[in-house]
Amino acid sequence: MSAEQLERMKRTKRDQLILVLVLIVGLSVWSAFGTSFSLPALWGGFGDGARFLFVDLMPPDISGLPDLIGPALDTIYMSFVAMFIGSIIAGALSIFAAATTSPHPVLQVALRAFSAMFRNIPVIIWTILLVASFGLGNLVGTLSLLIVSIGMLVRCFAESLEEIDMGQVEALRAAGASYWQVIGQAVLPQFLPSFIGWSLYNLEINVRASTIVGMVGGGGLGFAIQSGIKLFQYKDVSMAVILVLVIVLATEMLTNRIRRRII
Amino acid sequence: MANRLENAASLITLEAKLSETPKANRNHGLRWYALFAVVFFVFSLIQLNLDYARLLSGAEKFAKTVSLMFPPDASQWKHVLAAAVESIQVAILGTVLSIIISFFLAFLAADNTTPHKTVGWLVRSAASLLRAIPTLIWALIFIVAVGMGPLPGVLAITVGAAGSLVKVFAQSLEEVDEGVIEALRSTGASWLQIILQGVLPCALSALLAWCVMRFEGDLAESTILGAVGAGGIGFELSHAMRSYRFDQALFVGFVIFIMVFSVEIVSNRLKLRMRKRA
Repeated sequence: MSAEQLERMKRTKRDQLILVLVLIVGLSVWSAFGTSFSLPALWGGFGDGARFLFVDLMPPDISGLPDLIGPALDTIYMSFVAMFIGSIIAGALSIFAAATTSPHPVLQVALRAFSAMFRNIPVIIWTILLVASFGLGNLVGTLSLLIVSIGMLVRCFAESLEEIDMGQVEALRAAGASYWQVIGQAVLPQFLPSFIGWSLYNLEINVRASTIVGMVGGGGLGFAIQSGIKLFQYKDVSMAVILVLVIVLATEMLTNRIRRRII
Repeated sequence: MANRLENAASLITLEAKLSETPKANRNHGLRWYALFAVVFFVFSLIQLNLDYARLLSGAEKFAKTVSLMFPPDASQWKHVLAAAVESIQVAILGTVLSIIISFFLAFLAADNTTPHKTVGWLVRSAASLLRAIPTLIWALIFIVAVGMGPLPGVLAITVGAAGSLVKVFAQSLEEVDEGVIEALRSTGASWLQIILQGVLPCALSALLAWCVMRFEGDLAESTILGAVGAGGIGFELSHAMRSYRFDQALFVGFVIFIMVFSVEIVSNRLKLRMRKRA
């Protein structure tokens, strides 16, 4: 490559970079006008946020803790139940949704489309939708977490199933094994580690999502936070937020440990 | 879904570990964990005390609700599109601000570039605290602090996104080959020179990929922030739902789906192109 060519490549690369930067700056300015946003507003916003966090929310009301233990446990139970049922259903469905193991391509496409719908509608919208028919409470929270879990897990499981070593499958097929024998003897043993890995990850997501679900009527800690803010009981709110923090971080630590231990 | 890549990476390390543990031992542990999972599942179900009768009657009502959704009502399209644009703007501002903030913090957080170990630890812990609180809760906090509208949405996204970007940026920086840093240091380069000449060029494409991913996640989040009053299209949706206009709600749902999905497609394209170049 001549020096001139190299120089030209460098220049086009630099031009591209400048173009992208100008585009991003332009979009940001457009957005700032659209939302009547300004740097002083940002500065003031962070200031007000910090003041609210450290003055109005502090100190957390420890005496409110006993009342929050119930919702906190509900949050954990809902996430776990949704993960458990979700991973079983998604595990079964993903065998039909993966290109390598699906008995028919039409079934595969249909399942993928369904799981994409489950997954791409945010969990809070599922909750708002389901609250209208199932009423407030833990049932709605569990159901919406379950729907989103299935959506996510079918995709992740199917992708892992497509990555398995096809040599073993071929070998069993050549030996005259039936469809279910191939699944049981060649596919599942290879699939098990990712099954556990993704399920644990799903549990982490569910724990986060369950607080969101609670805000629109799905029970648990989110409900306590939302109602606390509406009633101006900020010290209770901060206690609940701290509980959310503890649960999320504890789940993360626990799942990491389990991952290391058994996989 | 925003953490897909992050998580794929953890799966890979996890599979690497798989080959290290003796198999018999693993199976033994697995059985106990499986047993515990089943027991805890049953226990959770009992504790939740779900009303199974409502499951059936609710399913019926749900089917009725869904039938009320058709045909979707697009008569409010002007409002809905304006709200959609606002959501996009909130997502852009939040992402850009969080990228700027985390870009600087990441150099303090990464093990190989941090000026001091304690600083790195502090920044990383602060980031994980920000990350652990869901964006919607941040939105609620900022709504109380600065009032309704797009501003609390921008602030909530900035804070939440900064929490996760600092982590992934720092990880990308830590993946930079130690030799590059070593070589620059041996020539007597200063900290700033090492970062500008050595670390940054190596990590740039990874950082860009994370930015694109982050925007994808932030857009999805900004569409729902309105449900708690932080402006944008989420408000239209929850408003339509609460006034039982399910046909309008479906239209809003369509718009949200198109927004999220088109960004996902564009970002997948970009990621493919970046991977080709790298």
